Order: sequence, then structure tokens, then C-alpha cells
Amino acid sequence: MCASGAGLHPPLIIYGRVSSVSAYIFLRWVANMEIELQHIHKRFGRVHANNDISLKLHGGRIIGVLGENGAGKSTLMKILSGYQPADSGSILIDGQKAGYHGPQAAIAAGVGMLQQDPLDVPAFTVLENFLYGQPASMTRRAARSDLAKISHEFGFHLDPETPAARISIGQRQQLEIVRLLTLGVRTLILDEPTTGISAQQKTILFDALQALARDQGMTVLLVSHKLEDVIALCDEVVVLRAGCLVGERAMPATKAELVRLMFGQDIAPQERSAGSLGEIVLKLDSLTIQDRRVRVETLSLDVREGEVIGLAGLDGSGQEALMRACVGLTPVVGGNVVLKDRDLTRRSYRERMRAGLAFSAAGRLEEGLVAGLTLTEHMALMDSERTMIDWPGVRDITRRQIERYNVRGRAEDRIEMLSGGNQQRWLMALLPEQPRVMILEQPTRGLDVDSARWVWQLLLDRRAHGTAIIFNSPDLDEIVTYSDRIIVFFAGRFHLIEDASTATVEVLGHLIGGNFEEAAR
Amino acid sequence: MRKLFFVVLVVALAVSMALPAVAQDEFVFGMVLVGPQNDRGWSQAHYEAGQYVEANLPGARMLVFESLNPADAPETTLLQVATEMVDQGAKLIITSSDAFEEDTDVVAEAFPDVVFINSSGDNAFTGEAPANVGNTMGQMEWGKLIAGCAAGLTTETGSIGYLGPLINGETRRLAASAYLGARYCYENYKGGDPADLTFTVTWIGFWFNIPGVTLDPTAEVNTFFDNGADVAMSGIDTPEVMTVAGQRAGRGEAVHGVAYDYAAGCDVSPEICLGSPYFNWGPSYLDIVSRVKDGTYTQEWTWFGPDWADLNNPDTSGVGFVVGDGLSEENAQHLDDFIASLAAFAADHPDENGIPTAIALWEGPLALQDGTVLAAEGEVVKPIEKDNPLTIWYLPQLLEGMVGASE
Amino acid sequence: MTDNRTPLRILLLIAPIVLSLAITAILVLAVGKNPLEVMTAIWEGAFRNSNAVAGVVNFWIPLTFACLGLVITFTAGLWNIGVEGQMMLGAVFASWAARTLTLPSPVLLPLEIVLAMLGGAFWGFLVGFLRVRLGVNEIFGGVALNALANVLVIYLISGPWQPPEGGSAQSTPPFPAESLLPEISSEFPVSLLALFLIVIIVAAVFLALRGTRWGLNLKATGKNPRSALLLGVPTTQSALSAFVICGAIAGIGGAYRVLFTFDSLRPLPSGGIGFLALLVVLVVANRALLAPIVGFVFAAILAGSTRLRVVLQLDQSLAEVLQGFVVLLVLMANGLRGRILGGPGAESSIQPEPQAQPTVTTAAEATTHE
Repeated sequence: MCASGAGLHPPLIIYGRVSSVSAYIFLRWVANMEIELQHIHKRFGRVHANNDISLKLHGGRIIGVLGENGAGKSTLMKILSGYQPADSGSILIDGQKAGYHGPQAAIAAGVGMLQQDPLDVPAFTVLENFLYGQPASMTRRAARSDLAKISHEFGFHLDPETPAARISIGQRQQLEIVRLLTLGVRTLILDEPTTGISAQQKTILFDALQALARDQGMTVLLVSHKLEDVIALCDEVVVLRAGCLVGERAMPATKAELVRLMFGQDIAPQERSAGSLGEIVLKLDSLTIQDRRVRVETLSLDVREGEVIGLAGLDGSGQEALMRACVGLTPVVGGNVVLKDRDLTRRSYRERMRAGLAFSAAGRLEEGLVAGLTLTEHMALMDSERTMIDWPGVRDITRRQIERYNVRGRAEDRIEMLSGGNQQRWLMALLPEQPRVMILEQPTRGLDVDSARWVWQLLLDRRAHGTAIIFNSPDLDEIVTYSDRIIVFFAGRFHLIEDASTATVEVLGHLIGGNFEEAAR
Repeated sequence: MRKLFFVVLVVALAVSMALPAVAQDEFVFGMVLVGPQNDRGWSQAHYEAGQYVEANLPGARMLVFESLNPADAPETTLLQVATEMVDQGAKLIITSSDAFEEDTDVVAEAFPDVVFINSSGDNAFTGEAPANVGNTMGQMEWGKLIAGCAAGLTTETGSIGYLGPLINGETRRLAASAYLGARYCYENYKGGDPADLTFTVTWIGFWFNIPGVTLDPTAEVNTFFDNGADVAMSGIDTPEVMTVAGQRAGRGEAVHGVAYDYAAGCDVSPEICLGSPYFNWGPSYLDIVSRVKDGTYTQEWTWFGPDWADLNNPDTSGVGFVVGDGLSEENAQHLDDFIASLAAFAADHPDENGIPTAIALWEGPLALQDGTVLAAEGEVVKPIEKDNPLTIWYLPQLLEGMVGASE
Repeated sequence: MTDNRTPLRILLLIAPIVLSLAITAILVLAVGKNPLEVMTAIWEGAFRNSNAVAGVVNFWIPLTFACLGLVITFTAGLWNIGVEGQMMLGAVFASWAARTLTLPSPVLLPLEIVLAMLGGAFWGFLVGFLRVRLGVNEIFGGVALNALANVLVIYLISGPWQPPEGGSAQSTPPFPAESLLPEISSEFPVSLLALFLIVIIVAAVFLALRGTRWGLNLKATGKNPRSALLLGVPTTQSALSAFVICGAIAGIGGAYRVLFTFDSLRPLPSGGIGFLALLVVLVVANRALLAPIVGFVFAAILAGSTRLRVVLQLDQSLAEVLQGFVVLLVLMANGLRGRILGGPGAESSIQPEPQAQPTVTTAAEATTHE
């Protein structure tokens, strides 16, 4: 089935250049793409991110790529999609050695990757983004018709004239998928595609992926921490641990089996824990907030000591604006932010921190951590009182925190040398011990199940001592599991769920899509 | 990094030990220029004068250092340059700008055996300079009178723009001389009313354009023409006046320019050039270098003038005027008459000890811009006198009738 | 990173120097002169006797002050082009003291230095204020304030401070002897006080950037002002203080020009030394201890080239060409080192570029929120 395909592949690319749609349709009848990875090695400094990975990927299947944080999944996918070269090893496509460098070349060879944050140009319209990378001969008219045709086939809703900045993450994913397909991609890699999209969009995405694999013989690689998604979608899984390939198995499998494959041990599911609530610590008094994307009108909320408030919503629906307004990063148009009888509305970020708020942003290296500074230097920044820095003292604290937060890295490592998950841990390690209120943007972003649980354990410890927590997450499961109360945002409107124990992922999934009235019944 | 530099240079030293030795009857003199040696202006005139000395005095060899100013050479000072020149055998160093006036005195103290000539300065006159410093300067006032006359003859709109450098005694008296020449010829040859003549002076702030520091000379010349002037005169070291006038004439405008400071100043835009007054430092320098070489030079302050018999004789005339192609035949005739009258005046008032006793048209009634009487009716303005500001050399303001800042 | 790559590191350090010397040599050959003679002339011009060395040192001193100031603003991610103006204001303030106050030297000299620091700091503050409060990019603000500073200098020289015999716009009258920095000896005319100050300031800048919370704040602000703000760094204050301190240090350099190099205020007293200092700091990539050393090499090449010009009558631009190639090639080598040896970013899968240069756009964004 695959061997004869070897000679077929290159001519198809030429077809693809002539007319993407015809090539795309033509491809439906040709042989499935077979990829073989041979002895892939990749090192970053002393970290062996990919250690002798050999793997065969068959067309027509959806393959889950699993592994805890820092296991080497992202690295392997980046090598396969041309974003990074391997130190050694080779990639065979349909039996022929593929020597591509760079994502463009990888796409030309039929391998395309959908980034966690799709790489589009926000100021361009959907159509312009779609045209990007297409052969110069393609007219706007042809592009528009291709876009419409493929969108229709998968049930995507893409208005060609809307700027990319104004469509949701889910739609940006859809756009990127359409674009890659038109470019003749036969292997599609998706990195955490279900983060930040609504339930409806997830259904559409899964249907599309299944259609691509089953009906059109494409290879789909799904990198995800969400084992439910993997179980629902994948035909087989490969598991990486510490840079090595440790397991391959066909699905179906249970969640417990997958967890065991990933961690080599069982992990009990997290219990909901209702803490005891104290006095009102943070009072939001008819806040009206306006940021670049959204306006939130007259929101009032009393947060009690030890309370966890989960904020749900699609990216940019108002939850980020609310959290940032609390710490003074987004301007408040009206209303007050009061912490323990102290009105902080006109206070700066730093004054609010001193008053007992703590904040961590979702951006990590863009916002939160400083690339180029070491872990120790980050720790030194947290102690704002002294003029002179007591480096040995700070180093000791840093080492303690590294150990406590189980960070894979050394005190003298620059933060960008750590993997994303470890950066997230360090962000958490930098938070003060006992703030009155912690405001956390996506506290477990990019963490695997185990790490996420463990971060929450630390957060809940603080909560037990009276710290209130306000957090958001694209992972609705996380919100349902840890919140006492939930606020769901949609385009600046909000809906408060007083008792989070009554909420389910399904309900939230509908709410974040804007169906407030339905849920209110 | 330094080590390597060291090694390379030591090797270099070892390989080439051939330093130029001073030949037997060679006489080395230094020429320090404030601007580039090819600036088509002040500095080039000095550079060429140095070449003239080399050509006319056997054994004379010039060492040039161009563009010594804080912007172009912040890493060095006149002292360092002079040290290097003396090291190379220089017995005389000409510092060819008033920018060097003060430093020349200081540096001269360090090299009492070397003669320093600061061109255009007057410290040897006032007695501030050490004994080994002399000054020399040309009577450019005559040249400016002629240049002004050419402008006054040519203007149809009765409006002349004068682009000045920075403001000091020298630049004021030269602008004033141009004005006097223009006024005289506008009235006496052209038959105009001097009250109708507008003579505007704009100071750019330095001898040449320094972007961001001085006014932009190109823009200022354009402003002259935009405001109704049809003749622009240059008082700065660089040829923007001629360039702009040429461009505008090329677009069909009836404008003319007067160059300054360089014999070939008209070459930039010959067809609209009325003429170019220029210093010819060669004869003065040749004289000074010869005397220093012979050991007969003693401190002096000279203010040399033109050779009225042959204004443009490179061997005799210290101040010259090249008539430009832009001057009409009729006006050229008038200009010749004017020059002849100047020559007659000069013949009546011969220089004493290399210093003029009077300059034509600098006669009463003349007043300064603030109304102070410079010379009453029938009086002559003294060219220079110690501690007397009301002289041509120290002219404290522009003259009454001129438009422009005096300080 | 003390592994087998050390030879490569050294190679990357030396190669640009050798290469730029080689390129210059070819250029010299092209104009028909002997490169060895050129190098010899530069060497002799810089080092043949104590007087020549003093010439180098006297150029090096203001250059080093400017460099040390710039190390601070560079650390904070700011392109302080305005360092020229800050030097000039230092010169103006020192000149005011020198011509106005009649005090004995031991009192007057420190006073002049302090005033120069105030003047420079004031001008630095203006650039910073424009930047953090009005959102004017420090490059534009700096260029404008540089021009303004020189206009002020020329106004003073040709106006209120002109010599009694009338302004020539070339300088003020010389300052009284007791207001000028004394030289060590006539064989080695260099100011001991200035050398002493350099030692102190090198140490102070090094320690401040290394061991103080303030220095760390600057570093964080420079690398990512957005994150720094969230980590509790007062980024606005950091940026502003960087400008002020840089201005103060550069101001001493300006004072040195008028109180030692000259003996009066002259047009453009900074002489473009601040711009040269920007190049030096680019080459040393913010390392305070290296700045004086690299600055010395630059000063030696440039001051040495005075002799080159007199002896060989070569165009002055030759030394600048040599210096330009050194800068360019060292920067290229720095980039290469980042790639080959794994500088910042090279070991990371996330970080696209080494952040050797300050980021200009982000600081303003971050500061608006505070």
C-alpha cells in the first residue's frame, strides 16, 4: 500500500502548485503518506530533548503524542515540521529521505504543523492570511472560492473579509487547517488544539480531523495533555518520557492506562475540596472595564478568604480584562476595587502587590518571566526591600524553591533554557507565600496532568491559609474541579454560577459559546 | 585585543624603520586647516597657497592637517597636531582659521623655536600673543566692495541677500563692505534710490553647514529668493549660494549669485555668477615662509591688500576679484569704472607698515544699526586702532540701512 | 562553559581584529601606501613617548565616562543617543562654575565636577521624561536635545560668555588657572583627578549593575519591561534613573573636555565622543569592566592617526574605516558566538533571537501602565 507511493509524491507537489484545489481533490485517491523517523537526536545544552527516537507513522490514522512536560513532544514535532533541525537522525517520507529545512520546505514535502497559537497576521483579513504562502499565481477570486469550498466541507465558519485579530482561536485554527490543506499538506500536526476553544468548535474540529484521516487518508498527529480528547479521537498513541520513546499502543485505552504509560505509575483523580470561607477580602464594586478587545459593564463581586473563583470564557471575552483590572494593568472606567477596606482603584500595580494582591500572567516569556535572567535573578527581583542583593542568600532560596516546585533547571540557568512546563512552575514558585488574593492567568498552562495537579496542591495549601484565588483557564475541567464559584464570560457579558459543584464541563462549554439564556433556565 | 595590536605594530615597526629624514636645505612648514583641503573655499585657498609656497620656494615642503575641528577630529588637538608636525621637522606652522586663535598662542608657548602664523587673528596686534606668533590677513573689504557693487548693479528687485557665517567683527565688516559697494553702485551707476535697496544678512551660525547645528545654508538661500531677492551673496566657506542660484536660474528664474573666498568660486554655476572675491594667501605666505627660513622674521601683524595694477595677479595681489559670466557687459563696464575709482582711492591712501590707512566708501556719514555715529560727514572710518571699537576691523554692529542681526 | 570550545571563543575574539587590520591594509595598498608604515605611524602616534600616550589618554578619559554612562542605559534597554547632549550640558555647567566662582582649586574643582554631573543628569532626565511620560522615543528625543545643547553652547559662546573683544563664536575666554584640572606633569599631561574618578566610577557601575537591586531592575527592564513590571520592577523609575545616572557620568566627560582638553567652552565640546562611546558599548555588550579597555584601543587608533595624517598625509577617514571594520566585525563575531556556542536563546526552543540589543519599542508600552 505504501511502497508504490514513493515515486508518486514529488509530482503531486507540482500539481499542488498548479491548482491547489485540484491537487487536493486528486490527492484523495492517491496512496497514504508514510513517515518514518530514524534515530532522531536533539540536545539543548545539557538536556537531551530527543534521544534516539525511531517511529513509523502510517497514513489514514490519528495518532496521539503523549508525554509529561519536557518529555520532548514539542521538540519532536518541531523537527518533523521543519521548525528545528535534528542534531542527527533522518526523516523518511514514503521511503525517501526528506532533507528539508524550515517549515516552508516541510509543507512542500507534505508536513504541516498547526501551532498552539496559530501563526497568522492579526491585521490581515482571513482571506489575506489564507493567501499567505500560496503560489503567487493564485488570484483572490480563486482563493476565495477555495476557502469557501473547503470551509463548507468541514463546517467551518470563516468570513474572508474579517481581520484575523477579530476571529476566535477556534476559527484561527480552522483557517490554518484550510490553509495547510490547500498547500498540499498530507500530514497535519496539531499542538494542544482544544485549548481555548468552545465545545461547539471542538466538535467541529474533531469531525474535521476524523474526516481527514478516515476519508482522505491523511496522517494526523495530536499533541495533547487532555486524555479525554486523545481517547475520543486517536487510533493509536505514542508516548515519550524524558526524551525517549517509551511506548506505542493502539487505542482504545482507558485514561488510567494512558496515565500509567505517561508517568509509569497511577495517579488518582483530583478530589474537589471545599475550603472554609472567611470574611470578604476583595470587593469589586460595579466595575466597568474597557480594554482593547472588550468592555465589561458593572460587575460586582465579593470574594471571601479561602475562596476560589474560576473564570471561564473564550479568549478575550472579559475574564482577562477583569483579572488585569483587579491588579491595575487594565484601566477601570467605573467602580472600585477594594481590598480589605482599602480602595485600590487608583493605585499602581506595585502598590496593589504591596497591599496583598499577587498576579501571574499567562504569557510566561512575553509577560511574567524575563528571558535572559537566571532563576536566581528572578528570585532576587521578588525581594524589593533591600538595596544590595544578598546573592548567596537568594541562591539558597532559589535552590529551595527549585526543589520544592520540582523545577528541572539549575539556579544559574537562564529562564528561557527551561521547558515551558518548568517555566510555569517557576512562575508559580515566584508568587509570594501568603498574599490575600492571588490572581492567576492560566496557572497550569502547558502543564501535564501530574504537574497541574501538583501546582494546584500548592495553591490549595495557600487557600487553606486564607488566600483567595481568582483564576481563569481554557480547560473547563480545571475550572469545574477547583472553583467555589464560577463566572462565565462571553463578549464582555458575564454569568455567575453561585455553586460550582452544580456545574459541568458540558454546561460551561455551552455557556462560553454565549448561550446564557438557555443555561439560566 | 591590545596584545595583538601590540604584536602587529611591533612587527610593523621592526620591518619599516624608514622614517623620512629632513633633507639638507629642506624647509618644512605645517598648514593646519579647519575644513577639508578641497572645500572650494577658505581652507582650499590656504592649501593652494601652501602649494604655491612649495612651488616658489626651493626646498619648501608642506605638511597638511585638514578638518581640525571638534566635530571632525575630537580625538586630537592643535597641540597634538603641532607636536607631530614639529616632530616631522616643521619650523613654521600656519593655523589658518580664527578657530585656532587662542590655541595657537597656547601651543606656541610650548614650541618657542617654531614660528606660528594665525591667519585672520589679531593677537599679535593687540600684544596678547607670545613673541613667536604672527598674524596675517587680507583686505577682503575691497573685494567685498567690488562684489557688493556687482550685486547692486545687477539687482532688478532692489533686494540682495547676504549669507553670513557666524557673527563677529570680521564677518560684520565684510557684510558691511558688501553693503556699501552695493549701495554705491545701485545709486551711482544704476540710478536707484538707496532707500529702495534692501540688503538682508542671514547668519547661519558657522563657517559651513553643520547639520542640526547651523541653519541650513541651502534653505536660507532659497528663502532669500522666495522673499524677493534676485541676487544672493555668499559670506560662508562653502558654495551653497552658487548651487542654489544656479538651480533656480535653471528653472527660469532671473537670479544671480556672488561667490566668496575662492578664485574658482564661479565654476559651480558660471552663467549666473556675478563674480568671486577671494583671498590669495600665496604671496603673503611666500613672504613669511621665506623670512622664517632665512631667520629674519620677527613678530608682526599684516593686513595685506590687492595689487590695483593687476587685481588677479597670483604673485602680487593678495585680494582678487574674478568677474563672472553672469555680469552683463554694461555692468561689467560700470564695475571696471568702480574698480578704477577704488584704485584711485587706494593710491591716495597708501598702506603703512602693511596696514591700510583708509578703505574706500568707509566714509561719513555712516551710522551703526543702533544709530551710533560711526563717522560724521567728511570723516573717514579708521581701519584699525587699539581699543577703539568704532573701527572697520572691530566693527561692533552692522551699518544702518542693513537688515539682519548684529550679534 | 569552560570546555573544549574555549579556543573557538578566543578565535572569535581575535579574528575580527585581525580581519579588520587586514581589510584596512588592503585599502591602504589600494591607495598606494605601505600598510606597515600606516600601522607604524598609528602606533608611534599613540605610544612613542609619554606625551603621545597622554594624547591618547586625554581622548580616552571623556570617552570612558560616556561609555560608563551608556553601559547603564544599555542595560536598561535604552538607546541613549542623547549622551552627546548630556556631555555638553556637563561642559556648560562646569564652565559656568569655572568662569563665575572664585574659589580655591580644592573647593572649586569638586564643585565643577558635581555641577557637571547635575547638568548631564538634567539633560538625561529630559530625555527620560520625554520617553516615559510623553512616549517620545529616546532616539528622537536624544537627537533633538543634542542639537539643542549645542545651540545653547553656541549661544553662550557668541552671547553672554563671549570674550570682551567681541565674539568670534569660537570659544569663551580661557577660564582662570585655578578652575582647570591640573596635569600630572608636563611630560605626561593628564589629569590625575579624572583618572581617579574613572577608577571609582568603573567600580561603582560594575557593583551597581551586579550587586544592587537597582542594577537588577535595570537589567530586567532592559530585557523585558512588560514582565519586569509584573515582577514588581518599577520600570518607569528604572528607565528614568538610568538616563539620569548616565547623564551624570557623561557630564563629567563633558567637564573634562572644557576643564582639561580645552581651557574654555567651545562649540560642540562633546565632539561626537558620545557617538563613539555608543559603538564601544555595542562592542563590549554592556560589560562595564571591558568598556575602558576597548575604549582605550579605539582612542589609541584614533589619536594615533593624528600622526598618520601628518606623516603620511593620508586621509583622516582611514582610521575611521579601521575602527568601523573593528566594530562591524566584532558585532558579527558576537552574533556568531551566540549561534555556535549557544548564547542566550540558542539553547532554547522558544526564544528566537539573542537579546544582545536593547528593545526600543517595549519599554514605553510597559511603562504606560504604571
